[in-house]
Amino acid sequence: MSEWRGTKFALVVHPELSVLTQYQTLLSTNGFSTVVARDLPTALLAITQHYFDLAIVSSQLGEAGDGWPLAGVLHLVFPNAYIGVLVPGADLLTLQSAINSGVQEVYEITQSPQSVVSAAIAAAKLAESRKPSSEGSLQ
Amino acid sequence: MREEVLRQYNRQGSFRFMTMLRKPSLLIVDDEPNVLLTLKLVLEEDGYQISTAGSFAEAEKLMTASGRFDAVLTDLWMEKEDIGLELARSASKLKPRPVIVIFTGYGSATNARAAMGVPVDYFALKPLDVDELKRVLNRLVVAKSEGLRWL
Repeated sequence: MSEWRGTKFALVVHPELSVLTQYQTLLSTNGFSTVVARDLPTALLAITQHYFDLAIVSSQLGEAGDGWPLAGVLHLVFPNAYIGVLVPGADLLTLQSAINSGVQEVYEITQSPQSVVSAAIAAAKLAESRKPSSEGSLQ
Repeated sequence: MREEVLRQYNRQGSFRFMTMLRKPSLLIVDDEPNVLLTLKLVLEEDGYQISTAGSFAEAEKLMTASGRFDAVLTDLWMEKEDIGLELARSASKLKPRPVIVIFTGYGSATNARAAMGVPVDYFALKPLDVDELKRVLNRLVVAKSEGLRWL
């Protein structure tokens, strides 16, 4: 697993359908089979059905901050996955939530999906290449 | 007794059982002796084996000499501003990598972002919620030892 190859699964969780569509298109173009969810129950169902390599989650689904526990669950279930969270602003408490949820990066919601996807894929590849080869064989 | 232990280990194939054979070891680093003593007492009560250091240099020496800690908990500001980050970076290079916890009374978006880059497993603001720290530490240490199965 030192190389980025094979079918990779991505999960995008965001309350807005138009945003999900953009992310799905971009990630699919980059070789990911992409599953989208607009709410927590759908996201949790998706977690039981796929092994995700990358996840982009909004920190605000039904209400402010409810995306963080989901990010934490994703980190626990898929410890090798790259998890990025879309946030309204990267202040101290937001970054603290990110660290404590095992999130690798936060992206401001003002950033375009294209720049988020590019940054997330680049960071995920970098993280993958830095892992000892045996650690990548978790799956 | 030894045969029973080995039998159980072979049956479970789990490092969880192995970690139960010894106390998880923690290195706590803070330049305030009162904080060190309090955390030592509180976490010892939870079954951890504790080493303490009052500075970055002392902690580095212990990490090199001991070779293995299950977790390193460090203050951020000690003899130098944000030096806890340097210690976290050193700890992250240890094999096996310990759980890394940073606590600080001087949290900012800048040092939190830097901690995220290490990466740090837990970032706590002072005053510490000791019950939460104990709960999180237990989860992280067990998860880390479970993870060893795959290495």
